[in-house]
Amino acid sequence: MMDIVLQLLFTGIGIGAVYALVALGFVLIFRATNVVNFAQGEFSMVAAYLMVVFSVDLGWPYWLSFLLSLAGMALLGVIFNLGVYYPLRHRSFLPVIIATIGASILMANSVLAIYGPQPQVLQGWFETPGIQLGPVYLDSQYLLIIAVTILLVIFNYWFFEKTMLGKKLQATSQDKEMASLLGISVSAMIMITFIYSAVLGGLAGILVAPVLFVSIQMGSTIALKAFAATIIGGFGDVTGAIIGGLALGVIETFGAAYISVPYKDGFAFLVLIFFLIFRPQGIFGERVAEKA
Amino acid sequence: MKLTRRDFAAGIAAGIVAPHIISSARAQGATLKIGMCAPVTGPAAESGGYAVKGAKLALDAVNKAGGVMGKQLELIVEDDQTTNPGIVLAFSKLAADPDIVGFLGSIRSTQVHAMAPDVLKLGKPVMIGGTDPNLTHMGNQWLFRCRPNDSYSGSVIADYGVNTLGKKKWAVLHSTDAFGTAGGKALSDALTKLGTPSVLDQGYANQSQDFTPVVLAIKQSGADILGSYFTFENDLGIFARQLRQLGVTIPWVGSPSIVNITALKLAGPALYGTFGVADYAEDSSDASKAFGKIYRDAVKVAPDNQSSWPYDAVTILSAAINKAGSTDPTKIREAILATKKFAGAEGEYNFDQNGDGLHGYNIVKNEKGNIVFDKHIESAN
Repeated sequence: MMDIVLQLLFTGIGIGAVYALVALGFVLIFRATNVVNFAQGEFSMVAAYLMVVFSVDLGWPYWLSFLLSLAGMALLGVIFNLGVYYPLRHRSFLPVIIATIGASILMANSVLAIYGPQPQVLQGWFETPGIQLGPVYLDSQYLLIIAVTILLVIFNYWFFEKTMLGKKLQATSQDKEMASLLGISVSAMIMITFIYSAVLGGLAGILVAPVLFVSIQMGSTIALKAFAATIIGGFGDVTGAIIGGLALGVIETFGAAYISVPYKDGFAFLVLIFFLIFRPQGIFGERVAEKA
Repeated sequence: MKLTRRDFAAGIAAGIVAPHIISSARAQGATLKIGMCAPVTGPAAESGGYAVKGAKLALDAVNKAGGVMGKQLELIVEDDQTTNPGIVLAFSKLAADPDIVGFLGSIRSTQVHAMAPDVLKLGKPVMIGGTDPNLTHMGNQWLFRCRPNDSYSGSVIADYGVNTLGKKKWAVLHSTDAFGTAGGKALSDALTKLGTPSVLDQGYANQSQDFTPVVLAIKQSGADILGSYFTFENDLGIFARQLRQLGVTIPWVGSPSIVNITALKLAGPALYGTFGVADYAEDSSDASKAFGKIYRDAVKVAPDNQSSWPYDAVTILSAAINKAGSTDPTKIREAILATKKFAGAEGEYNFDQNGDGLHGYNIVKNEKGNIVFDKHIESAN
């Protein structure tokens, strides 16, 4: 019995970590711009395809393909900011959100047109698919995903709390006018946020691709759950996004195991509805309220 | 020359009538059109491409042999986007063209269900690949199936597992869409008839990202054999990997998706040693071998059921129109239902009055990525 619980817990945390990585991108852009970027999932998909191009099609080393893919995502973040957000930055949030949806459709269809509809296989980082630890099988890719998520939590804390750039980004997200009066280049900070979010989304896509395969739909599937995780955690809160993502992964995995497999996705959205009704500010909502 | 009022009237009349006469004459000399709804985009776009290629190969063969009723066949493809609304829209576009005499629907039962009311309203023959048994048993006389239905696959999977592999404790895993639900039910019913009811009947939602709970349920059930109905290959690929990773090595007999090209590519070694019911098996007959050769030559990939059923559908539809000697839908329908002992790529067609052309399945085995024909089993149903 305990072995099953541990196996489910490991898988739930693994899949939750993927939601958390994408959710983090949602949160960072929301904090900086006050809009939800519905193309965040497509960042994951594009990065996974870039990996396939570099690593599989061109046969370049995995680490080089990884770095190039993330560099490509940074570039995409710049283009996205300049092409989608920047021209609409003085408009209300609605046109920007619609623009992100449009960009998401454009990215999905561009990849479809360039690369075709075939799902692709991307090998993981490790030769060994996983390790057996007592009764529990630990998928090496999920282990990597969890490790990267932990590192990112630490990195985000250090970056946003301990570095000047992080503090400038925080200041920009909290009050753009005040930040501007203090000599912070708001446009540059927003640009950096988009780059970082695109890289984070891309990282999630590259990490999860060996598990879920590389397909046009992979981004939207993950993004939907990540969006729910963001609301559960508290929109605008970095820790909330991580906790929300992990919680969602664990809840849906245990819900599937002990209640119903076909309604697995339903559990995630039931939790979402519960939060929307009883705690719309999310788990870490108080800090957001204070900020507002 | 003096233009009289009568000459003027005659000129006007000729001017009005002439374009119609010319277009009518053109229409009579034009090609015969067949419409095809295929997933050009969406999750099944890859297999959709194979389907279109299969249909076009049949079209070329028919046209080389003189066409249909002395005319060349033309295939009009509309994208069904792999969705139910998509196929309804695609079919309505095709149905609006009065020159289209017959259609190819979907391999996906849910999509065929979605388009079925419009098919009934239009009243023209539609060849389908969807294997939900209900499709040809719900009073829609215009649907003709070019694959064996799931009531047959269920009984063949059960027969092979129980009588050939000697396994009695079954776990049945199926998608919760129309195809998977019908397939899972057919397998469970067949197992009950054989006196070996399943120990686990587990559904899952399409596009699941993780099957750990499912694999653990199979382990806990104590099943010694697994029967499955997967709709999408990426689901099958993820499940197959996790099944092996979590140490489940029981024999696995799956529905046709377990041996299709995309699934083999995605799952790789995780599917080695599995069995599948396959409506198309290259070595099962001379006609299957012949199709396999022309498909490999033209497309450069191994043939599978995604391409073989549209190939047969176009061939059977063309032969039926030729036999009917007319494009009248009722006469074509009668000719399709009269098709007997027709050697197709999928097997020998003997249409019954419900519109089902095939009544048995081949069992194939995945031997290190190669799909090897084992035996053909005619359904006991």
